[in-house]
Amino acid sequence: MEKVKVMIVDDSKVSRAMIKGHLAKTNFEVCAEAKTVAEAVEMFSEMRPQIITMDMNLPDADGIECSRRIHLIDPTVKIVMISAMKDASLMTAGREVGISSFLQKPISTNELIETMMTLCQSEVGKIAILRESYAKAFVRALQQGIYSMIGVHAEVSLEVDERRFLDVDGIAVIVGLTGYPTGRAIMHMDFDTMKKYASLMLGIEEGEELSDEEAADSVEEAVNIIIGRGASNVNDVFKDKELRITPPGTISGNHIRIASPKLTTFKITAATKIGDINLSVGFAEGE
Amino acid sequence: MDAKLVNPFVDAFTSVMPQMGFPEPKRAKLYVREKNAVSRGVAVVVGFTKQIRGNVVYNMSVDTAKSIASTMMMGMPIADFDAMAQSAISELSNMLTANAATNITGMGLEVDISTPSLSIGESFQIKISDAQYLTVEMDLGGQIVELDIAVDTN
Repeated sequence: MEKVKVMIVDDSKVSRAMIKGHLAKTNFEVCAEAKTVAEAVEMFSEMRPQIITMDMNLPDADGIECSRRIHLIDPTVKIVMISAMKDASLMTAGREVGISSFLQKPISTNELIETMMTLCQSEVGKIAILRESYAKAFVRALQQGIYSMIGVHAEVSLEVDERRFLDVDGIAVIVGLTGYPTGRAIMHMDFDTMKKYASLMLGIEEGEELSDEEAADSVEEAVNIIIGRGASNVNDVFKDKELRITPPGTISGNHIRIASPKLTTFKITAATKIGDINLSVGFAEGE
Repeated sequence: MDAKLVNPFVDAFTSVMPQMGFPEPKRAKLYVREKNAVSRGVAVVVGFTKQIRGNVVYNMSVDTAKSIASTMMMGMPIADFDAMAQSAISELSNMLTANAATNITGMGLEVDISTPSLSIGESFQIKISDAQYLTVEMDLGGQIVELDIAVDTN
């Protein structure tokens, strides 16, 4: 399960649009929007979202009553109350009807997503969240980066990498990630692909000279651009927590094994006519 | 690079290693490098962001890595440089770098560190800077751990 279905219950069109905006580009998919308690109960029965954002003041009853009715249908659904007021009596009344979290308007994207991630962790798992919200940002960066730099189409695949190491024959450019979450991205390819990539990037014709060093420098710069773009894609979603990238460190040679202890790692492969361009993105566990 | 940025790394190494049961490390050599470093067998890269940018490499032979991992694991014998030993060296690199980062913060510079990337292989090339950088060889009871330090203020 990758997408998490969300229902927004709020009588204000503006509030609904804002919440929807916060969730855009994440793995939280708004499947229903209800303006009243009656609509919410009906839509819930039909759409079965996994998470509900609940406003307090609704035209036909309040958010507490709405939550109570929905919990009668399914006691496992997670409800986040998003209200203008947040006080102890509201929270006590809310907990009694099974509301899991309370946020006060205005909410930030980060606050909302983190709350939702925590709530659905047992169901979707951390890996799915990292995959949808972080790894996919790098998939897009890789695909766009390759096309814009060398004009080559790439078939890009993404999978969780169960191995605790990478085997490299060729060049590997390591870029560290700091902020949230910390980790590292490693782009690697064989020497033949490196040379072809650099030639296309620099506009060098076949037969013209290109030293190994120039080729390695070009690929290093390409990786810097791609990982930078990937981090920016992440930062576009999580506006108040900045993911930063370190300068690249490049290793090259044969039979190199790069170990990644304690990282949740994704293997992204771009299959192109000049060979496979591999990107391994790993995030620290236990953040 | 700025030579005064080397001290935080040497100080971190000198203060952290004895706490983990190693003999007092000595600074064996210090020199400027222009070219790539070459792997001694195990090379761990850790990167820096914020007011300090760059990378540090902890470069050592597989035997040294095994011996360090063994000491870290209370003298447990280590036949192969396996996942557990790799994890120990990775963790040590993280500790040393975090300690160096604290020292750098003490100089009034904000810094953040990445997770370590540990590479294993004979004589592969390691490029961490386009410019000159500094290499310090630390002598740890006869075992050499090379620190390649290419960091600069942003």
